[in-house]
Amino acid sequence: MQVYLWLKAFHIAATTTWISGLVVAGLAVASRLACAGTQTAQDRSFLAAVRRWDRCVTLPAMLLAWALGIAMAMQAGWFSSPWLMIKLTIVGALSALNGVLSGTLRRLDRGADHTPAALLYAAPATILGIVMIAILVVTKPF
Amino acid sequence: MTAPSNPTEELGQLRRMRLVSIIEGCTLLILVFVAVPIKHLSGHAIATTIMGPVHGMAFLLYVWTLIETISGADFPRADVARMVVAAFIPFGAFLNERALRRRQALLASA
Repeated sequence: MQVYLWLKAFHIAATTTWISGLVVAGLAVASRLACAGTQTAQDRSFLAAVRRWDRCVTLPAMLLAWALGIAMAMQAGWFSSPWLMIKLTIVGALSALNGVLSGTLRRLDRGADHTPAALLYAAPATILGIVMIAILVVTKPF
Repeated sequence: MTAPSNPTEELGQLRRMRLVSIIEGCTLLILVFVAVPIKHLSGHAIATTIMGPVHGMAFLLYVWTLIETISGADFPRADVARMVVAAFIPFGAFLNERALRRRQALLASA
């Protein structure tokens, strides 16, 4: 099988894993924002589990998605295509969101209450981002 | 600087950030002072072909870890601005590494 197809298969697997982890982290932060001030032992253990998943699965998946995506784009010679530049901008924004969520989870794990309210929309923003990426990648409009 | 409630974890985060800063700075040093001269002096582009993406990934990890570090702690605004600016200038990672080492020493002695 072509190297490109292997890269594509693992890129899609890594991206799916990354985005699912990002949605879970977004929902965990949003749920803490919704009931600020009351943190039970169950909440703390859930947050700790989400943090572990974020560190051990979501971050490596993000790095793998980046590496394989760059390798695919180099192989296919897409770096001059405008659709890829737009996709990379969205991927950069999702990566930054992942960083903010990871930091916020660490802050919440310490029992802190101060969290940016905009993170309530982290999970829907992630879904919106991945929908836009899917459209760009499949249709390659420009 | 606000003292975090769990300094051990914060110290671990600062150690990770420092390590990533050193890796980013070193990959840039290898790219600029080893791979690029090899390409221009001997005509072999293989070194830059390898080191270019390696440094790109190290830079992405560095920016990501910086965002994570800043988001999870109470850094003064001036420190945040300096670290973000340093992230985008060549070898700024080494400047950040020194600043992080100072913060780490301050936290450890608190």
